[in-house]
Amino acid sequence: MSLLPQQIVYGLLVGSLYGLAAAGLSLIFGVLKILNVAHGELIMLGGYSSFWMFALLGVDPFLSLLLTVPIMLVVGFFLYHGLFTFVAASAEEARIRNSLLIGFGLALVLHNLAILLWTADERGITTAYSGQVIRVLGLALPIMRLGGLAAAFLVILGLHWFLHRTYLGKAIRATAEDWEAAALMGINIDKTYRVAFALGVATAGIAGTLVTIGYSVSPSIGLEWTLKALIVVVLAGLGSIMGTFVGGLLLGVAESASTILLGGAYREVVGLVLFLGILLTRPQGLFGR
Amino acid sequence: MLEIEGLDVAYDDLQALWGVDLRVGSGEIVALIGPNGAGKSTLLRTIAGLVRPRRGEVRFQGQPITRTRPHDLVGRGIALVPEGRRLFARMSVLENLELGAFTAGARARRNETLAWVYQIFPILRERRHQFAGSLSGGEQQMLAVGRSLMACPRLLLLDEPSWGLAPRVVEQILEVITEINRRGMTILMVEQNVPAALGLAGRAYILETGRIVAEGPAAELLGRDHVRRSYLGLLPGTA
Amino acid sequence: MTVTLRLTVSMAVASFLGLAVVPLFTARADRLNLLILIFLGILLAQSWNILAGFAGQINLGHAAFFGLGALTTRLLWLQGLPIALSVPAGGMVALLFGVLVGAPAFRLRGAYFAIGTLGLAEILRITVGNVLPEISAMPADYVARYSLIPRYYLFLGLAGLCTATAWALNRSRLGYGLLALREDEDAAEASGVPTLQHKLLALSLSTLFAGLAGGAFAFYHASYYYQHPFGPSWTFEALLMTFIGGVGTTVGPILGAIFYVVVKEVLTVQLLEIHLLIFGGIFILMVLVLPGGLIQAATRLRGWLPSGGGSRRGRPRAGRG
Repeated sequence: MSLLPQQIVYGLLVGSLYGLAAAGLSLIFGVLKILNVAHGELIMLGGYSSFWMFALLGVDPFLSLLLTVPIMLVVGFFLYHGLFTFVAASAEEARIRNSLLIGFGLALVLHNLAILLWTADERGITTAYSGQVIRVLGLALPIMRLGGLAAAFLVILGLHWFLHRTYLGKAIRATAEDWEAAALMGINIDKTYRVAFALGVATAGIAGTLVTIGYSVSPSIGLEWTLKALIVVVLAGLGSIMGTFVGGLLLGVAESASTILLGGAYREVVGLVLFLGILLTRPQGLFGR
Repeated sequence: MLEIEGLDVAYDDLQALWGVDLRVGSGEIVALIGPNGAGKSTLLRTIAGLVRPRRGEVRFQGQPITRTRPHDLVGRGIALVPEGRRLFARMSVLENLELGAFTAGARARRNETLAWVYQIFPILRERRHQFAGSLSGGEQQMLAVGRSLMACPRLLLLDEPSWGLAPRVVEQILEVITEINRRGMTILMVEQNVPAALGLAGRAYILETGRIVAEGPAAELLGRDHVRRSYLGLLPGTA
Repeated sequence: MTVTLRLTVSMAVASFLGLAVVPLFTARADRLNLLILIFLGILLAQSWNILAGFAGQINLGHAAFFGLGALTTRLLWLQGLPIALSVPAGGMVALLFGVLVGAPAFRLRGAYFAIGTLGLAEILRITVGNVLPEISAMPADYVARYSLIPRYYLFLGLAGLCTATAWALNRSRLGYGLLALREDEDAAEASGVPTLQHKLLALSLSTLFAGLAGGAFAFYHASYYYQHPFGPSWTFEALLMTFIGGVGTTVGPILGAIFYVVVKEVLTVQLLEIHLLIFGGIFILMVLVLPGGLIQAATRLRGWLPSGGGSRRGRPRAGRG
């Protein structure tokens, strides 16, 4: 059964991206209480931005992260002010509903815009080194995906450091916990919302780049990745970036390992069943509080 | 220092405050007492900017602050210790205190202020790395007050500081309040514990169903029949 | 009140009868197909609206029930069971499934219910796609006997029935309970509204009609992939149509369906795949500016007219959020 360890490796590699995708969603949901169901489409946008930078300008995909991040930050800023301030201004119960609706509309627009502009074809990135595979203990580690895992982990660490060691980061966490109390500390809630949202979108963009690098990108990955992110957020719970990352790894491994028994066709179902199971039995997630 | 004039506050269709007038002079301790649901918390929250009034004006040091946002008010020198403390339970005591000094002015003096807060509440220094959620009720109240003090306010608003605390702890808190007032802090305090409040305060207001029904020096209010009957449970004519 | 009620009912009956005689005047397939698509749209939107608009529960897995109805009906019908039994069977299967998942599903609130139902629908879609990956094709003798007319009447009848049910529900005491539930579930619970029962009833009606719609779909289409009716786009279309028309009203889904299908046809002719992009944009605008949908726009417009005439259709939208 040397198949299992290899599947676990693959699971960890893709799971790191699940975790990263979920981290952005979790941040926005945790702080603003907005469930952005267009998150997957933002991942898709990030992926395309890297793809085109590579295809048109020859920028190395890992390097393109340096450009994708500011691009997505700006996108996040405009999306927030254009669409989501309305949602953020709604009262608690209405907020979830409005965020679902706005997110849905946004997803529809972005998805179809992508099809219109770039066709429904799948795109991948092939560099001089992209086909290489590192072998450790008989296990194959495709270099692009390994790079993806490393990058994802670094971003997660960076986010964690930001949220726990900087004043603004702590303010964001405080806002997530109790925004009124945070306002009474002199924290500008609007500003923290903006920063958290932009960070969430930027994280999505990075995830998108890594997805394109390790796999491929097409307009239809939006819904797929929104679901993955949702599953991980529910699985891991809110409140911990590291926990979310681990949740992503868990989902990745669970999916990949399941293919040994169930074959590839039910890979998605495993995740979804896990998702429903956690929703019904432990809605605060494995690591949530 | 604080002037409130003709304040009307409503939540959607439910009016909570009717034509409230209130004054707090610099260096005073003013108490606001009244039954549950009278609107006392609403009044403090309105002053702190969390609630917008329908009508009326709030002035701080002569400047109108009725429409100012809560975080700006902290910068101006108003700090509210909210009802139920509202600590950041998942963050440490120290982090809570640090967040209290978020505004630029407070941040510059953070170390100084922190030393002072530790002096007033030594237990906080002891527990500084513990999660705020793991402290006892009394310690949490101290942290809540300390956190607001970190903002270096000129006016401290306290919403039910004695709530849910054992008598001995209440005493401690009240001592601290007296002490910081002695150092020059102006205090407006909402309290259910009427004897304690009237013992501490110089002046007091009584708020019932959203309206100010009485005001005056605390000692004088203690003597009024209505107060004695409704809030102290004493029959008229008894001591 | 009774005057406007009578007016509303007469207008509805008149429209229904008018539509019923259309096939007597035209046998043109393209016109009948357009109307069928509109009726299908009305069915999907109205059935979704029963749960979302009246009971306030956003079900993102609506396609699951549509798909189950289609699957059941198709399999039974191709086996030889007459369509008059196959379609109701489809509806019943969808209803059963709805009731089965309803109780546990309703333990989830708000957003969690929405994403939970979405997850459920996806599970069904993928599973059906794996178990029955092939195209379901109508056998030759069925094709030979294919006539648009019975299908037209099936869709018209179901759409009418669904609308009538929604309308009756709206006006019943149950409807008031649902409205209370929609506005504030906890308050409703506290004042004695049996919220779970109400939600389950709304869900049952919603899934029943979604299943019946699926059954009609299976009767209508010559060939399609078995998993196709389970796809999320069916849910999204129901959502779009309902919100564009006016969620929570009885007429809203009808207006929305007409608007959606007609504009979609027009755009598909002119501009191919751009219609979803445009609808997405319209949808966002609706949520931001006109949450009551076309109904709200019409009401506002009437406000500009000198005197308010005619009937007040549907229930006024109770504000944003």
